[in-house]
Amino acid sequence: MSVKIRFFARFRELFGADVMTDVVAGTMFTSLITMIAKKNPEGYAAIFDETGAFHEFVILMKNGKRIEIADAAKTVVDGDEIAVFPPVAGG
Amino acid sequence: MFSERERERYKRQMMLFGDEGQERLKKAHIFVAGAGGLGSPVSLYLAVAGVGTITIVDMDVVDQTNLNRQILHFDRDIGRKKTTSAKEKLQEINPDITVNAIDVKIDEINAADLVGQADGIVDAMDNYPTRYLLNEVAIAKEIPFFHGGIHGFYGQATTIIPGTTPCLKCIFPKAPPKEVFPVVGVTPGIIGTVQANEVLKYLLGIGELLTGRLFIWDGMQAHAEEICVERNPACEACGGIAKKTTARKKK
Repeated sequence: MSVKIRFFARFRELFGADVMTDVVAGTMFTSLITMIAKKNPEGYAAIFDETGAFHEFVILMKNGKRIEIADAAKTVVDGDEIAVFPPVAGG
Repeated sequence: MFSERERERYKRQMMLFGDEGQERLKKAHIFVAGAGGLGSPVSLYLAVAGVGTITIVDMDVVDQTNLNRQILHFDRDIGRKKTTSAKEKLQEINPDITVNAIDVKIDEINAADLVGQADGIVDAMDNYPTRYLLNEVAIAKEIPFFHGGIHGFYGQATTIIPGTTPCLKCIFPKAPPKEVFPVVGVTPGIIGTVQANEVLKYLLGIGELLTGRLFIWDGMQAHAEEICVERNPACEACGGIAKKTTARKKK
């Protein structure tokens, strides 16, 4: 099955805008994003901390709806669109 | 009532919203938190639109490194207080408005008093702790909070109406780390102008506000999109307040 991951802002520079990926049933959000992020060490460090958990400020969305980081252990389904967004702080 | 000079000054926008709209702007008081990258375009556009009273707060001195983006401040202002420089420019660009420029660090003790009776707060800050503080002031006073943030070529904006939309803490429960952020002046130019546009629509009671939506600007791709954002019923800042039915400034 196929899932689309969309990166925003700085994450887009590190991974590109959209990543389409084929996944097996039962794949968790966390493991999917981890798998993609690991291809880019700098990008990985931008999204995950040294324990492998999401930085707590990272915003995750599924099909346009916010998902809590605590829910990232849930599984993805075919056609899901996942957005990974870093809030920006400058002004 | 408008002077002849004001009628001429606002002629082209009064074609859009008439005497009544212009009167609304004239009677309005907007609090701009920060006279930097975002605060510059926000306050300039609110000033030229004729927002009657602008309070702008900043604690910094103009530094040469500010000048690539903070268009309120000129080369000659290096070393001067940003508030002094801001008041001077805003009064020069529109002598028919009142500008209060306050040189202070916004903190837990003074935030509510600084905002006073303002009709809305513009977030032109560069850090989340102060943003969260102002978000709470907006909730307590039941006034809108016009959020903006930038990094490099990227920006975000949303309009928060306490009791109706998610608040800043619902959308961003945890602050990203403070950093010396890279930035090119056009980015706060774009986001600050979006914020000023929101303020004007809110005051005028026209159009669709950026409520419940996070506007995301990617200047590298010249692409804008938005993501839906929702209230968090358990939000530590706004979770306790009841849903409001009106999202408009009262006449």
